[in-house]
Amino acid sequence: MKLPQAQAAVLRAADADEDRRIDEVAAEADLKPETATRAAFELEDQGLLTVSEETVESVELTEEGDRYVDESLPEQDLYTAAVDAGADEGPVSMGEAIGASGLEGGAVDIALSNYARKGYGVIDSGEITADPDATPGEDPEMFALEAVADGRPDDADADALDQLERRGLVERTETTVRSVRLTDDGVTELMAGVEVAETVGEVTPALLTSGEWEAVEFGEYNVEADAEQLQGGKEHILRQTANRVKDVLVGMGFQEMEGPHADAQFWINDCLFMPQDHPARTHWDQFALSNPEEIDHLPEDLVERVKSAHLEGVGPDGEGYHSPWDEDVARGIDLRGHTTSLSMRYLSGHQVGDLEPPQRFFSVEKVYRNDTLDPTHLLEFFQIEGWVLAEDLSVRDLMGTFTEFYEQFGITDLEFKPHYNPYTEPSFELFGTHPETGEIVEVGNSGIFRPEVLEPLGVDADVMAWGLSLERLLMLMYGFEDIRDVHGTLADLELLRETEVVY
Amino acid sequence: MPVVDVDPDELRRLTGHDEKDDDELRSDLFNLGLEFEGWTEDDEFQLEFAPDRLDRLSVEGVARSLRYQYGDDRGVYTPGTNHAEWVVEVEDTPPERPYVTAAVVRGLDMDDEALDSIIQLQEKLHATMGRQRAKGAIGVHDLTMLKGEAGVEGGGKSVRYTGIDPEGDTFVPLEGDQEMTPGDVVEGHHIGKEYADLVSDLDRVPAIYDAIGLFSFPPVVNGRRTEVSTGSRDLFIEMTGTDQWTIDHMLNIVCYALDARGGQVEEVRVEYSADAPGEYSGQQFVRPDLATKTKTVTHERIEQILGVEMDPEEVVDCAERAGLDARGDEDDDGAVSYEFDVPPYRVDVLHPLDVIDDIGRAYGFNTLEPEYPDVSTVGGRHERSRLEDAARDALVGLGFEDLLNFHMINEEENYERMEVEPGTDVLGAGDPVTIEQPYSEDYTMLRTWALPSVLMVLENNTHRAYPQDLAEIGLAAEIDESENTGVAEHRTVAGALARTDASYEDAKARLQTLAKAFGKDLETPPTDHPTFISGRAAEVVLDGESAGVIGEVHPKVLVEHDLELPVAAFEFRLDALE
Repeated sequence: MKLPQAQAAVLRAADADEDRRIDEVAAEADLKPETATRAAFELEDQGLLTVSEETVESVELTEEGDRYVDESLPEQDLYTAAVDAGADEGPVSMGEAIGASGLEGGAVDIALSNYARKGYGVIDSGEITADPDATPGEDPEMFALEAVADGRPDDADADALDQLERRGLVERTETTVRSVRLTDDGVTELMAGVEVAETVGEVTPALLTSGEWEAVEFGEYNVEADAEQLQGGKEHILRQTANRVKDVLVGMGFQEMEGPHADAQFWINDCLFMPQDHPARTHWDQFALSNPEEIDHLPEDLVERVKSAHLEGVGPDGEGYHSPWDEDVARGIDLRGHTTSLSMRYLSGHQVGDLEPPQRFFSVEKVYRNDTLDPTHLLEFFQIEGWVLAEDLSVRDLMGTFTEFYEQFGITDLEFKPHYNPYTEPSFELFGTHPETGEIVEVGNSGIFRPEVLEPLGVDADVMAWGLSLERLLMLMYGFEDIRDVHGTLADLELLRETEVVY
Repeated sequence: MPVVDVDPDELRRLTGHDEKDDDELRSDLFNLGLEFEGWTEDDEFQLEFAPDRLDRLSVEGVARSLRYQYGDDRGVYTPGTNHAEWVVEVEDTPPERPYVTAAVVRGLDMDDEALDSIIQLQEKLHATMGRQRAKGAIGVHDLTMLKGEAGVEGGGKSVRYTGIDPEGDTFVPLEGDQEMTPGDVVEGHHIGKEYADLVSDLDRVPAIYDAIGLFSFPPVVNGRRTEVSTGSRDLFIEMTGTDQWTIDHMLNIVCYALDARGGQVEEVRVEYSADAPGEYSGQQFVRPDLATKTKTVTHERIEQILGVEMDPEEVVDCAERAGLDARGDEDDDGAVSYEFDVPPYRVDVLHPLDVIDDIGRAYGFNTLEPEYPDVSTVGGRHERSRLEDAARDALVGLGFEDLLNFHMINEEENYERMEVEPGTDVLGAGDPVTIEQPYSEDYTMLRTWALPSVLMVLENNTHRAYPQDLAEIGLAAEIDESENTGVAEHRTVAGALARTDASYEDAKARLQTLAKAFGKDLETPPTDHPTFISGRAAEVVLDGESAGVIGEVHPKVLVEHDLELPVAAFEFRLDALE
């Protein structure tokens, strides 16, 4: 039979009557041990030889152990110094003995603890005695240390060796030694004659241009072996999720919005018909800025209409809020608490010009809330926001749109719980069935914009809108438990690198 | 969201449904939008609900809504009222708190439950409509302890709402045992201290007098003399505030609750003197004003919003089950419209659309079939977001791990730890957009550049495997008075290579590849930037426009961030790739 060179060599070096260690076989066959090992396993797969394994323990000195072999153990030094000071006749000052021993730092503690343990003497109340009958010169631990240093670990006393390991003076390691033996089939094949197949390791330019490749056989690789772990870059998990959401929305006919993060309260709150004394506006739910404090310009006619909606309401029998409305408050600049400020800018015609129905718009952008930091809440998070502008929208259209959206993420059986928002009516909290756990979970907030929102903006059609946090969707879909692990400067690189991709 | 504690036994008694067990009640409440949050220590339901139906802030209001839901009640209910015997004279009031309203309720059988309920309702109304008593504050008094001043017009009894010097008179406040001036109360009484901010700026503080003397110091605390107890049968309820409508409607909600307790509501006349501050000088009101208001809606709009066809009878039925009255009317063209009467406790109904919501709830929104709207539009990404994604893809292709950091940072991280002096003309030195009341000292401003965040991630990951090639594309902002908002916001691209042999050339190689991918001509003239080693920093110039900086990070910055290996980095404006 024809075998690759390494396999042929190993087969020839193996014996049918006794196990031979692979390192011996490799030496004889002039192969690297790992090449011989691989060849041996490949031959075993073909039933030509058997590979047996044995675990062998080896003992080596640590750096500290190595130092003591050349000199002596600290407790031995201490005993010598103690005897010199007369401690074999009566207690002497410990400080004196230590000073004379030349021991310093950590070695003092090591010496003291082992001195007592080995019965070299007694240490008590700052004094030390030396047992005259002690034989530090015949210390079994020192003998064991020397045996290991000489490469005769088997000569060392087993208890002493354990003690040395505990003291960190030796290190035991286990290695696997493999041996091979020919099988009957192996013998048969050898008798029948084994030829070396011409194999080539690498495909080289020379091999290709010379045409030699036609005559050669390529050496086999262990294609199952693990390869090196490469560290490629990856898009951030939240960005991937955002892109997934954006894909779905674009597919449903939504266009993306864009606008300022720091914006006037007018766009963030007043256009949304949030009364100026609404608790969410007065209790620092949003971050107000100290610099800049005020927007330079607001569209005057729009300001008038919004103010009138707040104070008088809209329509013949509409009413306004009985709350103060001050343009200075509206001019104040906040970090936006929701991206609905963008929706207001777009619907007003001030962002991209007047919009004729039908229109669908969305954004997946950051918002800022003065909330308590915890595993599910950050001061900054991404809000998914979408709205549809069309003539005569109904609650059923709203339900149909959002059912479709959430089904794209595996969230089914959407339920619409009537709710209250200052800016929408009817309003619904959205609940859905968790794709993994089957629990009913809140997945968003939605509604049809109130006339008090739309009329001042000059919108003469219906607009339905909804919002939810991207982080919430991420946590629902992928089971993250602490959003702080991925978002922000405390992010764990390993987690980012190892997180599965989203598609 | 408001939370109200409701005793289920009271609820059974007030609805007349003894047969309902706790689970049934909870499920019925859920359908009303009141979510069971848990039990109180006194075995009451804790119910949470959206802050629109403030008439449900007491067990009486919740019971009323349930009776409508059960069909036990239909249409608008208005409590009967007796004619006014009492008058509130308003004169010399503090201009900061000019308004008052009042009612009398007689014949109550005040047991512990009733007393607890009225105290809770008072607190909850303070917290919501009353805006922590600033906009409206309620005082409930035992009427029998009041002595009306004689001699007013019509021979009735009167009390007087006025303003006094904080040290101008004394009374014994609730939970107090000695005569105190309003000034003493604010200084030394525990309730007084809690609400001190509401009156601390006033030269004259609000005060209510009867023939005996000062008995209430709104919005802070009532006097002990008129304290309501389980023995009280007749109540005098006054409310003061900064908005007449608000206190009148808070009063309506309280009157409806006490009516449900079997009380007889009696009107009170409020007389603003000719020189009283505020909008109503010289006017007289009779309160409570329990008149309904009317909203007009077309049948067509109801059908269109709900997306279903309905008979007019069905609309009227839904309205009545929502506690409204409805009168349909057909015009000459056969188009039906309705006038809906809305009861005076419904502070949430502003626009006719709110009535449609009521009808939808009574109809059952969850019985509606979802329908995908037959409206076609063309979707698409914003150009900026497409550019950002393309740049991010290119960076990832170059081996960078994409980061996502907070836009909020603090001055120390943004400037000091990067060796950058704010206000100088290097990248990152722009004036900060600062937050008025930061959540913590870690987040006091918007970042002016992204490299500080990237360096922080490196700092927090020194235990992780190297090389660490990190990049971020995200928002940076600085003060710019030429912008309408006063803030210039832009997307910035930052990349950093942290590896044992990172060099300027490694960073430039990647930047060069990136620029080329976007068809941009990259030049890197030498520059000085305090974050980078002098002589190893350059300006990033794309198609002739200065866009950022590139270099080897200065050891001082590295050591500051506990980094023990070199970092080469760049940052530039995303729009330079356009």
